[in-house]
Amino acid sequence: MTNLDLSYLTIAEAAAGLRRKQFSAIELADACLDRIDAIDSKLHSFITPTADLALEQARQAQRELGSGTDRGPLHGIPIALKDLYATKGIRTTCHSAVLENWIPDSDATTVTKLREAGMVLLGKLGMHEFAFGGPSVDAPFPAVRNPWNTAHIPGGSSSGSGAALAAGLCFGALGSDTGGSIRTPSSHCGIVGIKPTYGRVSRFGVIPLSWSLDHAGPMARRVEDCAIMLQVLAGYDAKDNASANVAVPNFQTGMKDGIKGLRVGVPRKNWFDENLGIDQQTEAAFNQALKVLENLGAQIIEIDGKPFSLARKANQTILVCEAYAYHEKTMQETPQKFGSSVRRRILEGAFLSATDYLTAQRARTVLNDQIRANFASVDIFAVPGAARPPEPFEGMDPNEQNLRPSFTNPFNLTGLPAIAVPCGFTAENLPAGIQFVAPAFQEATCFRVAYAYEQATEWHKQRPALSSA
Amino acid sequence: MVDKLTLEDLRTMAERAGLKLGDDELQLLLPGVNRSRRQVAELRELIDRSDELAGTFKAANTDRK
Repeated sequence: MTNLDLSYLTIAEAAAGLRRKQFSAIELADACLDRIDAIDSKLHSFITPTADLALEQARQAQRELGSGTDRGPLHGIPIALKDLYATKGIRTTCHSAVLENWIPDSDATTVTKLREAGMVLLGKLGMHEFAFGGPSVDAPFPAVRNPWNTAHIPGGSSSGSGAALAAGLCFGALGSDTGGSIRTPSSHCGIVGIKPTYGRVSRFGVIPLSWSLDHAGPMARRVEDCAIMLQVLAGYDAKDNASANVAVPNFQTGMKDGIKGLRVGVPRKNWFDENLGIDQQTEAAFNQALKVLENLGAQIIEIDGKPFSLARKANQTILVCEAYAYHEKTMQETPQKFGSSVRRRILEGAFLSATDYLTAQRARTVLNDQIRANFASVDIFAVPGAARPPEPFEGMDPNEQNLRPSFTNPFNLTGLPAIAVPCGFTAENLPAGIQFVAPAFQEATCFRVAYAYEQATEWHKQRPALSSA
Repeated sequence: MVDKLTLEDLRTMAERAGLKLGDDELQLLLPGVNRSRRQVAELRELIDRSDELAGTFKAANTDRK
């Protein structure tokens, strides 16, 4: 098996191969590290690679597996982390000059869980500065580029996570999602990412953007891999006040049961045509995906998109107010340390009132009720992963996200679990994604539908044509 | 309909908030701030006060370490 073949194994395949002794954890880590060396200068997906640590952890995993100590399916698997997860002794920058040299003295709860599960940590990944504002062109680290076409953005804010996975530089990654930051790069990079239910995964040790909207979650190349990772990450954590003390099911139970009879709600009317509307090629890929679901036995039901459309307004208001509250002191004392894009977005919150913020939170309750009421007549929502394909860096419009509908942030506002999976390519060979959104704490339903769709299509098998030249 | 803020309004608000922002930056911020205020006005229309419950503080999470 070549290094390239190893790099593109799924987590499930790699875990099985390690136990069959087809290859070692050291070979898996080496394959990723060699590929990072060869091509990441084009992508800039890593801010801080941790090669020595990765090899040390890989050797330890190999010793443990060889002596019968098995920590589960992530044991010996190379993983990378968005650079807002605190890592003890490893620089954690949030892609910002504000935290350029910050070395935490403890791990985020999720990082502790991954360490205990035996992950091999490849390093810390680039992102949009403080998870907000767009590609960071004036931050201390270069903006991450899309492996499918490096002239294009990879989507964000978990841009490094999406790019590194699509390029075969890691097997799994952590992202975070406040308005779509796991699902947008997943769609733009042709990989899989799930924003779990609000409270399902601890945010302790994850640098906040907006406390009441932030979600932590996994990204990988396959649905099954995301289920494997979420199994490790999920669970109550007293250190996160929003953590939900609810039972964690086996996310793979029923995943392969199919979707015959499933009622899929599509909130197209009053939403997809908002402002400039959805891009034509993106909508065509989405409609084709709905046909695949129908062929698998699902029933497509159109529902009213109006509350989904309004949700963006509440989400944006809450987000900028909470983000400004978190960054207020730094904005007052050293505003020049922020890149221009993120500074402008966060500062909007300085000019809204407490009443504005509370109005948005009150509207949130109303919209949440309206959106969730649809689950009386459908089992899951299907919506596009993004409103348009990844745009080129050159000529990029910083207001683009306000010119199209946001298909992601209603599910931050409602806290509902949402998974994005690849659903096609544009004529320019740029990926498109579809999201499946389930009732609260029913991530297993997301996985069942996404898995059925993934297995019925070939999109997830495509790889970007990157060379090391 | 919500009143539009002007550059002068923003300058005053920035000073009061302890922010040192030049007019060029305030000018760039102005459209976004006014859009946010219009959005809030739209959201206000959704709220029916007749059956609204009280706020969201929870006394339950007392075991934070």
